[in-house]
Amino acid sequence: MGDNNNLPPGFRFCPTDEELVVHFLRRKDDLLPYHPDIIPDLDVYPYNPWDLQGKALSEGNKWYYYSRKMQNRVSDSGYWKQMGMDEPIMSSSCRKIVGIKKYYVFHIGDPSNDVWTSWIMHEYRLPDSGSSSKSTSRKRGNPKLDYSKRVICKVFEQRNDDDDGDNDTELSCLDEVFLSMDDLDEISLPN
Amino acid sequence: MNISVNGQSRVPPGFRFHPTEEELLQYYLQKKVANEKIDLDVILEVDLNKLEPWDIQERCKIGSTPQNDWYFFSHKDKKYPTGTRTNRATAAGFWKATGRDKVIYSNSKRIGMRKTLVFYKGRAPHGQKSDWIMHEYRLDEITNINNNNNINDTHHCMKVTSVRSSGGDLVQEEGWVVCRVFKKKNHLKTLEINPINKTSSISLESHSSSISMLDSPCDHLHHLGHDRDRDHDHDHDDQGALEQIFQIMGAKSQNNNNNNITTKSSSQNQFERYMKLPNLESPNNNNSSTLLVASYYQTENDLVSMAKTETTDPNNHDTVFNTEAAGLMSDWATLDRLVATHLNSTQTTTTDTIMHYHEHDHDPLPPLRSSSSTSSSGDHKIYHTTLDNENEMIDHLWSFATTARTTSPSISLGIDPLCHVSDNGI
Repeated sequence: MGDNNNLPPGFRFCPTDEELVVHFLRRKDDLLPYHPDIIPDLDVYPYNPWDLQGKALSEGNKWYYYSRKMQNRVSDSGYWKQMGMDEPIMSSSCRKIVGIKKYYVFHIGDPSNDVWTSWIMHEYRLPDSGSSSKSTSRKRGNPKLDYSKRVICKVFEQRNDDDDGDNDTELSCLDEVFLSMDDLDEISLPN
Repeated sequence: MNISVNGQSRVPPGFRFHPTEEELLQYYLQKKVANEKIDLDVILEVDLNKLEPWDIQERCKIGSTPQNDWYFFSHKDKKYPTGTRTNRATAAGFWKATGRDKVIYSNSKRIGMRKTLVFYKGRAPHGQKSDWIMHEYRLDEITNINNNNNINDTHHCMKVTSVRSSGGDLVQEEGWVVCRVFKKKNHLKTLEINPINKTSSISLESHSSSISMLDSPCDHLHHLGHDRDRDHDHDHDDQGALEQIFQIMGAKSQNNNNNNITTKSSSQNQFERYMKLPNLESPNNNNSSTLLVASYYQTENDLVSMAKTETTDPNNHDTVFNTEAAGLMSDWATLDRLVATHLNSTQTTTTDTIMHYHEHDHDPLPPLRSSSSTSSSGDHKIYHTTLDNENEMIDHLWSFATTARTTSPSISLGIDPLCHVSDNGI
């Protein structure tokens, strides 16, 4: 994806949480123009995580799409179960909360009889207080739509071995061993 | 095209330059070597000798997204006109190659090589290792030309037009490399994935070298003291690190003892004690590092006592003991390394405590003879009376070590390999 941006090879869509909220969610919410408009809006349609390919923006093994805040996210094969607490997303420039992040795990079946999977969702929404009044004042187009409930979902399958993605900036196991052997060179052995 | 126009980045928000090794070699370096225009100046040309690693992130910044890695082209210059060695020294230090070069494949075809280098502050051979790592990629001269035909096969390089330059040009420009610089992260993640491999590969070399179990962590603490600018990402990992170390030790010692039920259970008890060690980062605890060091002593002694328990079988007294001692030796070297790397990658608030000790103790660190040398009879109750009081251990750590040295090293039935620094040689 991202071909329409005319970026040379090597650029990947790897937004920070803050970028997702401030640049994509906030601006779309405020009906401000933003670039690049690459994240599709899947609304409330309950896709299974493995059905997102081709529908959501995919980058590496992650999928991004706009959705709405929902009480229950239920698809035909399972449901997203919340785990952990809501996590505030802080702005890096000023110490203020710019968004809220929620974590979900996809479970196959229904809550009475389910199997959890390794599919994870991060749901990003704007902070509840303050922002709603501010954004309604700007919504001159269609005030009936409740844009404050728009969210961005990032879905990915958790893998044990992080074989793609960021591991280029990690040393391999072997490199670590070589590195520690370099230390030995500098310790002179007593004779 | 310039990456930023009027201070405005041309890279849209959310995008990060994170090329694969293939893209680096087959798109960027290929074009650089062939002197072709690259659409966007994402990778700048730098003079490695004039750029310190900590200036790289400002110099090689791409867009507004936070970066963990930085890229540049560099032209390799020879250190000596006749030699093949490359000069990679800067004003503040030098880049030193480590390990072995890695072959980079694309569609199972060899396209280039990757060299890993570490930045050392100071001048060789007394440089001080830093966390700055560089991957230096170079093209294979032959594949340079041959691969042009199948470049279009790879989806990453759709935009590459065929490289028109002749082979002669390539040879002339063969000094170009593309580099990725990043800061080493805590390697515990790797450990989690495969603790056994890590342990065994380290212990391979540790047999041949005697490392002081005290010297290495202390060195690293000193090193830390000079290195205030490191990041603080790993704070929460400390507890985990210790636990991992103990797990590995526990697993290892259980292996050693799996045919001796009584020793096994006693070793479990002993390890449980260390699980209660305070968190290294806990702000109220100023001497937790000392505790850690103290636990070295303790643990070693416990291991010795375990080894001794093993020897209660009178029939094969010597053989059992020796193998045990050798096995433990490798465990200790491994532990040293683990703790050393761990300390190295974490800036603890307790650094000063250790350095303080060091400054006031002008004697070289007392060689660490295991306190077992105080006992020739193999009666391990002695250790427990010495060791049960943790506070005493902390307060009298150094005097304890000295005492351990001065007491006659009368024991000679195979404990020697356990003495990590031995002034009478091993």
